[in-house]
This record gives sequence, C-alpha cells and structure tokens, in this order.
Amino acid sequence: MIAALGRWLTDRLGLDTFRELAEHKRVPVHRHSFWYYWGGMTLFLFGVQVVTGILLLLYYRASADEAYESVRFIMAQVSFGWLIRSIHSWSANLMIGAAMIHMFSAFLLKSYRAPREMTWLSGMALLGLVFAFGFSGYLLPWNQLAFFATKVGTDIAGALPVVGHFILVFLRGGENITGGTLTRFFGFHVAVLPAIVTVILGLHLYLVQRHGMSVPPSVEEAQAKPGAPPPRMMKFVPNFALRDAVGWLAALGVLALLAALFPWELGRKADPYAPAPAGIRPEWYFAWMFQTLRMLPSKILGLEGELVGILGITVAGLGWAAVPFLDDPKGRGQRARLWTWIGVVAIVYIIVFTWLTYRDVKP
Amino acid sequence: MSARPGRAASARLVLGAALVALAVTTGMPRGALARDTCYECHRAEKEERLVAPTRNILKDIHFEKGLTCASCHGGDPADSEATAMDPDKGFKEHIEHKSIARLCASCHANAAYMKHFNPRPYIFSIEEFETSVHFKKASLGDTKVATCTSCHGVHGILPHTDPASPVYAQNVPRTCAHCHNAEYMKGRSLPTNQYDLYVTSVHGKALLEKGDLSAPACNDCHGNHGAAPPGLNDISMVCGSCHGREGELFIKSRMKAGMDSLGKRGCVTCHSNHGIQHPSDAMLAVGGKGVCGTCHQPGAACDRATVRIVSGFVGLRDSLALADSLLKLAEDRGMETGLGRDSWKEAQDQQVGVRAGLHSFDSAQITGVLDEGLGLARHAADQARAALRDWRTRRIGMGLSLLAILFVIALVTLKIRQIEARQGPP
Repeated sequence: MIAALGRWLTDRLGLDTFRELAEHKRVPVHRHSFWYYWGGMTLFLFGVQVVTGILLLLYYRASADEAYESVRFIMAQVSFGWLIRSIHSWSANLMIGAAMIHMFSAFLLKSYRAPREMTWLSGMALLGLVFAFGFSGYLLPWNQLAFFATKVGTDIAGALPVVGHFILVFLRGGENITGGTLTRFFGFHVAVLPAIVTVILGLHLYLVQRHGMSVPPSVEEAQAKPGAPPPRMMKFVPNFALRDAVGWLAALGVLALLAALFPWELGRKADPYAPAPAGIRPEWYFAWMFQTLRMLPSKILGLEGELVGILGITVAGLGWAAVPFLDDPKGRGQRARLWTWIGVVAIVYIIVFTWLTYRDVKP
Repeated sequence: MSARPGRAASARLVLGAALVALAVTTGMPRGALARDTCYECHRAEKEERLVAPTRNILKDIHFEKGLTCASCHGGDPADSEATAMDPDKGFKEHIEHKSIARLCASCHANAAYMKHFNPRPYIFSIEEFETSVHFKKASLGDTKVATCTSCHGVHGILPHTDPASPVYAQNVPRTCAHCHNAEYMKGRSLPTNQYDLYVTSVHGKALLEKGDLSAPACNDCHGNHGAAPPGLNDISMVCGSCHGREGELFIKSRMKAGMDSLGKRGCVTCHSNHGIQHPSDAMLAVGGKGVCGTCHQPGAACDRATVRIVSGFVGLRDSLALADSLLKLAEDRGMETGLGRDSWKEAQDQQVGVRAGLHSFDSAQITGVLDEGLGLARHAADQARAALRDWRTRRIGMGLSLLAILFVIALVTLKIRQIEARQGPP
C-alpha cells in the first residue's frame, strides 16, 4: 500500500530526479571538511526561526500600545510561550553567529573562486538579510533598550550623505521612532525579508548544488601532486546528512539549555520621553561597527568623523563582497596571501572591537 | 556730500551702541548711566554712616532696574550741591519705621507699574500686611517689629531667587530667627525656640540639609507679608496646603470636630509644629511613644482600633517585603514577573494611601484599604512563587530534553558507524 502510494507520487512529482541527485551528490573529505557543516547549521537555525516566528505570530500584536503587553503575555501566560520566544531570540543570535562562521570559513578557504562567484555574492546578500532580520526583529518587543538601539541604528543610517535622510525616513516611517516604525519593522520582519530570503536562499542552494563543495587551494595542490592518493569523497546521503543531523541536534540542545538557563529578557516598555538607558549599545553583531564609529575623532580631514567611518565601513563591505573578482582566480600567489591576511585582520578587528564594546558592561 | 549726515547718524548710533555694550559688559547698572550725584557724593564720603548705603547698592535689584536713591529718598539727583537734599525737593533723610511698608507699597502694590519690570509680577498687598502681627505692633508704635527692610535688607536688596538674599527659601528660617530669638524677644511672651526646633524637624532637614526648596520654611505656614500664628481653624488647612489628601480627610473626620470642641489645634496636636518629626507607626498607640495617649485612655475603643490598624500596617509592610524578595529572586533567575510586579506596585500605593487614609480616623475605611493592599501583596507573592516553581520545572524539562537529545545523537552516531562500516572507507 505504502509502496504503491510512493510510486504514485514518484510518477506525478518526478521524485526520481531528487532521489538520483541525493544518490550521486558527494562531499569532499579533507582536513577542512569541518567548515562545510556551517552552511547547513545556518539553514537549520533559520528553520527554527521560521517555526518559532510563526508560533509567536499567533499572539504577537504589532502596535505601540499592545506589542510589549503581547510579548509579556507570551512570556507569562501562554503555555511554553517563554520557551518559544527565548528559542526565537537565542536562535536568531546563533544563526547570525553560524552565518558569520560560514562566511569567514568560505573566505579563508577561498570558496568564492570561479565558478562560485555568484554563490559568494548570494551568500553575502543572505548575510545582509540576516542582519536586517536581526535589526528589524529587535524592535518588535517595543522595550526601552530596543527603542533606543533602533534610534541609534537609524541615526547612523541617517548620517549617510545624500541618501541618509531618505533612508532614515523610510526606515522610521517619519522623522521619529513611533508606532508607525514598529508596524513597518514588523512588515519587514515577517513579509518583505522572508520573501527576499526565500528567493536568494533558493538561488544560493541551487548554486551550491550546481557547483558542489569547493576544495581549498592547498588541498587541490596536494591532490594534484604526482603519486598523490585520489581525492576522498563522502556520500551526501546518508553520510554527510546524518553528520549534519548530529550538529543540528546538538544546536537544539544548546538552544534548550540557553532558553532554560537564560530566558530572553523583556525589560521595560519603551517610553519615548524617558532618557536613554545608560550604556546603550546595539546587538553584538553590530557592536564592532558601533565601537569603530565611537572611537573615531569628531573630525577627519575636515569631514565628520562618523561620516568617514560609515563610508569606510561601506567601502570595506563592498570590497569584501567583490573579493572573487579581486583575488587571484586560482587562489595562489602573493595576491591570494594578501587576501588571506586581510581576512585574518578583519576577524581579529571584529573580535577586538566587539570585546571593546562589552568590556565595561556590568552583568 | 549728501552721504555725510547719514554717516554722522550712523557714527552716533555706533557710539551709542558701544556705550550701551560697555555698560552691559562692565556690569554698570542702568541707573548709573544717568548722572546720580547721591551715589557719587556718598561714595566719596569719609563718615561710615554716609558711605554705608553705597557699599552694596550696585547689586541692588532696584538700582539694576534703573531706580535711584531719589526714588525712595526724594531730592534732586542731578544737583551736585547740598541743595539736592532740600526738603522742598521732597528729600527725606530718614524714612520712619512705620512708613517703610507704605513707601515700598507705593510701587510694589501698583500692578501697572510693576508690569514694566515683569509681565507676571508679585503684587504686594498692604491689606494683607495689615493682618500681620508685625504691622499691628508697629502701628502701636513698636519699632522693634519687622517691616519690609527687616527681612529684605536695605541699600542692597536682592531678588528672593538669589541665594544670597535673606528671603531666599533656605535663608528664611535664619532671617526670622534674627528677631525671633531669646535675646531680641526679651520681655515678650512669644516663645523663642522655633528656630532650634525647626532645624531638627523633617521640614528643616529637607530644606537646609537636603536643599529641597519645596520644603516649607517659616513663611510657608505663617505667611510672609501677613505673618501671623495660624488660628485654630487654620492648622489643618495650613498643613493641608501641602499634605492635601491628609488635610482633606482630617477636615471631614470626626476627630476634627472632637478636637475643635476641646480646643485642640488639629495636626499639631499629634505631630507638633516647629519640631515636627518624620511620622512612624509607633505614634499610633495610646501607650509608649504613641501620641493618642495624650488625649485617650488605655483600653478605650480607639486603643483597640490602633492596635488593629498598627498590626495591619506591620502585616502589609511584611507582606510587601516578602513579595519583593520573592519577585527579585525570580527576576534574578530571568523569569518574567511583570504581572506580579504590577500587583506589588499597586500594594505599595495602597501602603502609602493607607497612611494618608489614617487621617480619616475611620477604622472601617482604613481596614478596607489595608485588606486591599494585603490582597495585592499576597497576589504578587503568589505570582513570584509561581514563577519560581516554573523556573524549577523548566530546569527539569531542560535536563530531560538534553538527555533525549543526547540519546538521539548517540543513536545517529551509531547509525553513521554502522553505515560506514558497511560501505568501507570513503
């Protein structure tokens, strides 16, 4: 009976193609294979976000008068509401962490080389979208910290020359952060961003499937030597997929641990007339940019220090995204080593500047 | 050629502006811009009596606003000879004590005139001043009682908002004590310990030690220009002007009527006046430190009522403390306690309210508020306990989930090994 149903579905949905794909897909095995799991980990955590986000939507109300109260209701009254909200918040942070690890490992392993330029670019776009998810979601509980962090964040965007004010008004839905901003951010968070992510994520996964996993230049070089053993490969299904599953289960365990031990705080309701809380800072993944802007002098070469900082970060980001076209196509030689060093310096810079932001924070 | 008159006018304008700017930047008073022979001659005098009025006159608010010596003393300030002080020119060397208030009132009671200096001026009322004990005594020829200059000073009068002014809020008690002391008041029946009591009082400490300018000084209860001891009916109104809720309840209470019939003076009967201290629960008793015992006998109905009310106070205070500690514990453990905290805040409001409500002297009403507060405090504690139970449940749930996850991980790992053993090395 089940076999007959399976055949019926296979005939109509063309499941053979997927079965064949799964049967033939292979993953290279070498000393850097560990880093291949981080894309899947990011995808898993994104799935957790989608599921918990939909559950939160059942109770969340996106208005300045009700948002905070509805989240409080979820945390205090709804069965397992605290768990869903805490997992949503923790998973968002872990997802951004996993996405950053995935991006930096792809950078250092030079996975962006031809023909994977579009895979890299779509990945960078996804990382930007993940940041946008984080930024828009942070405001939704409508608490004091989120209110002022959003104010600071949108103020920074507003400092951009020419388009800054337009972006500020577009993000806030006016000159100030109001209930209109909350509704707008809610729209971005649950409709606009998911729609864009679905398309780009689809493209990214298709490209990964089309080009397969990239092998780092050092491994390629070793394999190309005369007398070297043939490259080792692992079947994607079931070998790699089961290993992925172990990682995902471990992530689920970490989420359960974090949600139970450190439930995500709600804080105090946003009050636009209250003074900004002391030590206000953005979420950790924006902290290095915030710290950079904070440490810049007020004037650099006659220009506003903050403006120079924003432009510098924008140019660095664009340069980072364009690395497939700037690095050596084979990933060897002096130019390739320079880009590896740039990557290492960027990682150290981000870690140090993030630490500087949190250095004086009292728990 | 035709441009010259214009240039001359411009030059004059610039010169004029420069002089005004000079006057402003050098702090020269506006009054000094005009020729004032009184100031010029008296400043150069050798005799202390004559030079003294010029010492602080440049800081005087009147002088700053453009008034001169002649504004009060008459005479001709443009005349540099002794004829400037000709009585025919309205000159008065000495202004009599009893005339000072009327002289000041000639400007300060004139709303139209005072509006030249301030769109919302304080208008002095000579009628109000006439209600003061100071005026009444002065009109009988007593020259030791206070008049305007006794408090505000003379020939160097500062605005009351200036911390150096003797009538600046924090300086008022000392200014009053300048006369209201044992030595100056010798031979009079009025007590002279007010200042010593006031500095130890809750009001005195708030004003003088904490710098809380909203705390009352002498004039806030006695009036300033109409200064007089508050009358029998006034006490609760005087205190009630700040302690509104308490005053309102007391005026409507049976206690007010009872006190009036016995000639007791309202609030001060229990709280005292100049040496008023922070009230405590201990005051609410017939015996011990209680103030009720000054009128009531032990064992009377009110004695039983105070025992019941005080035990209610203690119960509410303890319930609030317990709920707060439980809520803090739950909050420290990251639990959401918003609803419990809301109840706790409401209970705390009831605690404040019940102390004010005590002034109704209505046992049923007080007990009702106390019971409501106790209910809210218990609700807050229950919410906190539920949060703490939930916290323990979560930990157990987390432990079980982790065990389940580890078990599945172990199964998947075994499966991988099993598959790869079958497949052989990759």
